[in-house]
Amino acid sequence: MDLINYLMMGFSVALQPMNLFYCFLGVLIGTLVGVLPGLGPVAAMSLLLPATFHTTPVASIIMLSGIYYGAMYGGSTTSILVNIPGEAASVMTCLDGYQMARQGRAGPALGISAFGSFIAGTVGILGLMLIAPPLVDFALKFGPPEYFSLMVLGLMVLTFLTSASMVRALMMAAFGLIVGTIGLDNISGLARFTFNIPELLDGVGLVPVVMGLFGISEVLLNIELKIKQEVFTTKVKGLLPTLEDWARSIWAILRGTVVGFFLGILPGGGAVIASFVSYAIEKRVSRHPEDFGKGAIEGVAAPESANNSAAQGAFIPLLTLGIPSNVVMAMLLGALIIHGVTPGPLLLSQHPELFWGVVASMYIGNAMLLALNLPLIGMWVQLLKVPYSILFPVIILFCLIGSYSIANSATDVAIMLIFGVIGYLMKKLSFEAAPMVLAFVLGPMLETALRQALIKSRGSFSIFFTRPISAVCLIIAIALMVIPLLPWFRRRRPGAALEQEETI
Amino acid sequence: MTFALLVCLGGLKLGFGTFQQPHAGFMPFLSGLLLGLLALADLISGLTGQWKTEAMGKNIWAEISWMKLGLTVAVLFVYTAFFTTVGFFIGTILLLLFLFRAMEPMPWWKIFTASIITTVLFYLGFKVGLDSQLPQGWIGF
Repeated sequence: MDLINYLMMGFSVALQPMNLFYCFLGVLIGTLVGVLPGLGPVAAMSLLLPATFHTTPVASIIMLSGIYYGAMYGGSTTSILVNIPGEAASVMTCLDGYQMARQGRAGPALGISAFGSFIAGTVGILGLMLIAPPLVDFALKFGPPEYFSLMVLGLMVLTFLTSASMVRALMMAAFGLIVGTIGLDNISGLARFTFNIPELLDGVGLVPVVMGLFGISEVLLNIELKIKQEVFTTKVKGLLPTLEDWARSIWAILRGTVVGFFLGILPGGGAVIASFVSYAIEKRVSRHPEDFGKGAIEGVAAPESANNSAAQGAFIPLLTLGIPSNVVMAMLLGALIIHGVTPGPLLLSQHPELFWGVVASMYIGNAMLLALNLPLIGMWVQLLKVPYSILFPVIILFCLIGSYSIANSATDVAIMLIFGVIGYLMKKLSFEAAPMVLAFVLGPMLETALRQALIKSRGSFSIFFTRPISAVCLIIAIALMVIPLLPWFRRRRPGAALEQEETI
Repeated sequence: MTFALLVCLGGLKLGFGTFQQPHAGFMPFLSGLLLGLLALADLISGLTGQWKTEAMGKNIWAEISWMKLGLTVAVLFVYTAFFTTVGFFIGTILLLLFLFRAMEPMPWWKIFTASIITTVLFYLGFKVGLDSQLPQGWIGF
């Protein structure tokens, strides 16, 4: 009963005209950045973060969340029509979506992608609503050792799943931890690695780092790659999938939803991993695995459903534990802190209107997205025809002005450019940016938790293994580190599978 | 590995402390040490050929237009250094003239038009719409 009352309160917040407007703006921008290659949800959120300073925390989070799950919807359009994923979580959709388009079935591919996303998104919100409140009671038992171990586990899961080379992913995590130490030490107040630059006393900003690694580096790569811009020219028609399409897709959608949701909750998980794993599962359980990669509708339905439910699931660790499970959630963490809201177990009791308002806005946002993505598909296709020679300078300018406008500081712009070059080199040398950013965000929290735990235990590391929650997290983390060393596991590791799929 | 070593030395300079009382250099030292060990492991696995990807089989630095890439990065840094002095309007128009021309050779009248329109739209969006403080520079707005 309480749940329904809270949800009603959430809808009363989300349906306020201003919040409704920000929800619409968020999903619209999300779809836009999902459609346009080169500008993902992370860069868009970092760009618009300063614009939310003037609004209420609820409106700000509603809009930023809308960008995230909106991008999951929009990303499929470019995958299906152009064979270029609008954002990373739509990579798998290219494999069968583009083949369907080539066979004259672009409409059903886009249709099942939108319906699958809607179903998964709605189920994901239901899961968020049901799981988050009980998890808060559990989270109240967390002390510094538990927080430290959980963050270590999150980093290990991310490095385990996302890269073909775990050593390189861990190197990036270590680099992120180092960058996270720049600025004043939280405990002693001593300046670290600031090189007498006053702007660095507050540390390196998340927005310049993210914009550089994900925005500028992408444009630099595209400058050298000379991507051939090709838009599917046949008119998109018949968006509604047939009964046969539904029969083939419904279980894929449901499986994708469940897999995506739980991978979204997992620290270090997220929409990208969810889409890869659900595609692999679907291919494995299918009676016709040979159809995958040749235009199987299940190959579109499963990853698109998974990335949407993962987007909802990822809110759980942030809103209950205060720990971002991926880079997008790290951006939301930054937004909450800027607005004076501390995410964590007390958020639900101290700011119920924020939690339930955001949850309710997701239902509304999902309905808006269905309307935006099906009847207006023609408009998004037109947008794909914007030449890259216009698009890329505009993206660069967005990043430059966006990073400057946060603190009116040219230093932030320079930091962004430095990370743009670092990001470019990382991509060229097969180093993943995601572990670096997550470690950079978690670094200060992880350091504080580690030092507090050691002070509490008088220097004994046994504190991490004598407390059950901490011990379980660390044992899993250690197992994830050791297992890849076993020769038989090397070929089976999910990261290796992802690498193989990406080369297809 | 050199970077990791420098970080470790920086951490020691800040003060490692003890495990009972970790100081400001504790985390940087441990992170630098971890990075150094991992870099060593990566170097060894690279030399022994245990880890190879398809990307390693081909020259990833081939077919890159270094001039175009280097010039773009250099111009972006120059813009960052001077746009607070010259102002948003002049600095951004000059930057866009370069970027539009570098992306794809177009007639100059098109490049001029696109640069001016884009700059004005950004000004309206950020300055008027979002109330951002863009540098005024020489022309005063």
